[in-house]
Amino acid sequence: MNNFTWLIRREFWENRAIWLIPAVIGGLLTLGIIWGHLHFDNDFFDINGATKIPLEIIPYSFFILSGFVTVIFLVIMPIYSGWYLLDCLYSDRKDRSILFWKSLPISDTETVLAKLAVGLVIVPLVYVAIADLTTIVFGFVISLRLGAWGSSGLWNPAAWLETQVLWLYTILTLAVWYLPIAGWFIFVSAWATRAVILWSLLPPLAVCLGERWAFGTHFFGRMLLDRLGTGYARAFHVLGDGSTWREITTDGGQNHMHVPVNIWNLMDPVGFFSSPATLIGIAVGVALILAAIVLRTQRAEI
Amino acid sequence: MPPLIEAKDLTKRYGSHVALDRVNFSVESGRIVGLIGPNGAGKTSALRSVLGLTNYSGYLRVLGKEPLRERTQLMRDACFIADVAVLPGWLRVDRAIDFVAGVHPRFRRERAAALLEKTTVRQQSRMRELSKGMKTQVHLALTMAIDAKLFVLDEPTLGLDLLARRSFYDALVNDYMDETRTILITTHQVEEVENLLTDVMFIDKGRIVLDSSLERIAERYAAVVVGPSDLEAARSLRPFHERRMLGKTILYFEQPDFERLAAFGEVLTPSVSDLFVAKLSGSLGAADTAADGETLAGVPHE
Repeated sequence: MNNFTWLIRREFWENRAIWLIPAVIGGLLTLGIIWGHLHFDNDFFDINGATKIPLEIIPYSFFILSGFVTVIFLVIMPIYSGWYLLDCLYSDRKDRSILFWKSLPISDTETVLAKLAVGLVIVPLVYVAIADLTTIVFGFVISLRLGAWGSSGLWNPAAWLETQVLWLYTILTLAVWYLPIAGWFIFVSAWATRAVILWSLLPPLAVCLGERWAFGTHFFGRMLLDRLGTGYARAFHVLGDGSTWREITTDGGQNHMHVPVNIWNLMDPVGFFSSPATLIGIAVGVALILAAIVLRTQRAEI
Repeated sequence: MPPLIEAKDLTKRYGSHVALDRVNFSVESGRIVGLIGPNGAGKTSALRSVLGLTNYSGYLRVLGKEPLRERTQLMRDACFIADVAVLPGWLRVDRAIDFVAGVHPRFRRERAAALLEKTTVRQQSRMRELSKGMKTQVHLALTMAIDAKLFVLDEPTLGLDLLARRSFYDALVNDYMDETRTILITTHQVEEVENLLTDVMFIDKGRIVLDSSLERIAERYAAVVVGPSDLEAARSLRPFHERRMLGKTILYFEQPDFERLAAFGEVLTPSVSDLFVAKLSGSLGAADTAADGETLAGVPHE
């Protein structure tokens, strides 16, 4: 376990972008909220004219704010994470530093698993942590700019705790759901001798085209799209009308919205972990990761 | 006590190319062994196999372990420098020390610090900011601070200038070597290492063509310088190599009759580099002219 912590620290030394990119995003968003257009009237409160938030939900607005901020981070995160996984077992073969790392008593299994953990879990954790910090700064700045008006809802410890549970659940389920994709990336990274991005894209594309040409079907392509697109949908109960995450009650002719209704209703761990798609994904991911470890033991520099 | 390294029928193929062809050798504890051969002879393949960096066929045990399968355990007792340019550019010197200290049970931090103290390397520098000579000093300090039984060096001074090469070998012999350690060095620059070796192995086209301690070289090999008048008579003793130099001819013999040889003049023990050229440039007729003006065949035979 000790080796593992050193390997993780090593990744932070090598890849400062792990925290630099989210830090820059957080910084830019903060600048935006300090100098941007902020407006509220009797019904709505909006930031830069983009998001209209009804006043009724102000008591729950920490949750809305956290979602709004974190989504921005979670859109950028997989792009970096994917790149990191594609590069992680390739760059040290390319610059020959693998010959230094392999001279130390660290197994290839530890090395591969540490890099996988960074790409799948640590990077999302860093993004969410910085998103969290940004959310709190946002709440503070908005409260200052709007006076006492929003302050009650924009810092809500109970809502904060609930969002932490939600983000941790999100990271865990997405790490499991995207295990086959991460496994494929780390396998390409261990195997390719050049052009890792191209090698990560071409074989799946070739399979799609080959299948279409041979059988006239699109099974593999649909499966890939499903894998890439449905992670959140499978981990959460999401209904089109939003009834799983908000509740509107009418009290004396006035609408009140509650967000979220209950985070435990929102999450669907049993459904997610018992789904065949999840289990097949785990199996494929583990197979690819094992293949990457075997390749790693037999390969030195390019 | 079993040998430190034992190889039987060690074979390494790259496709149809045979890099090592059923090689047998062993290395005893406490020796400094030079594995010497021209470029592409199989030196690096042999070392990569010994260090568990590549797969091979045949029998190979290093410190009683099977290198490829047990590399992690092997690297607790063995260390290596495979080319000096392999420390990653992003790594800071002090963090390199932290990392090795963190993962290597036999690393002595104060020793690495003491070795670096003697140099001009700054601890906060990144490897990419250092000259090649300084990088070598860092790598050597990191490696010499490990209490290893076996130290393997693959072309350790490639690309270094004369001063850096000299100080590299001085440090190796003066600060590191003692009777508990064994060093295996590959190089194609024989002259540079011949004074520090206790044993030599010549490798050519994937085969070991000579494997001997330096003492036994004196018993087994001889060279004699003859003038044109004695040449035919000396040739009748069947030299395996001859070389013309300044109007005379140096003849090299394996297991000669020393008394009969002495009749032609002073019997010399060939230097390792002369023997290397003699063994590898083939048999009679492949004589080269001494354009580089080096000394004659070597030291007088006792």
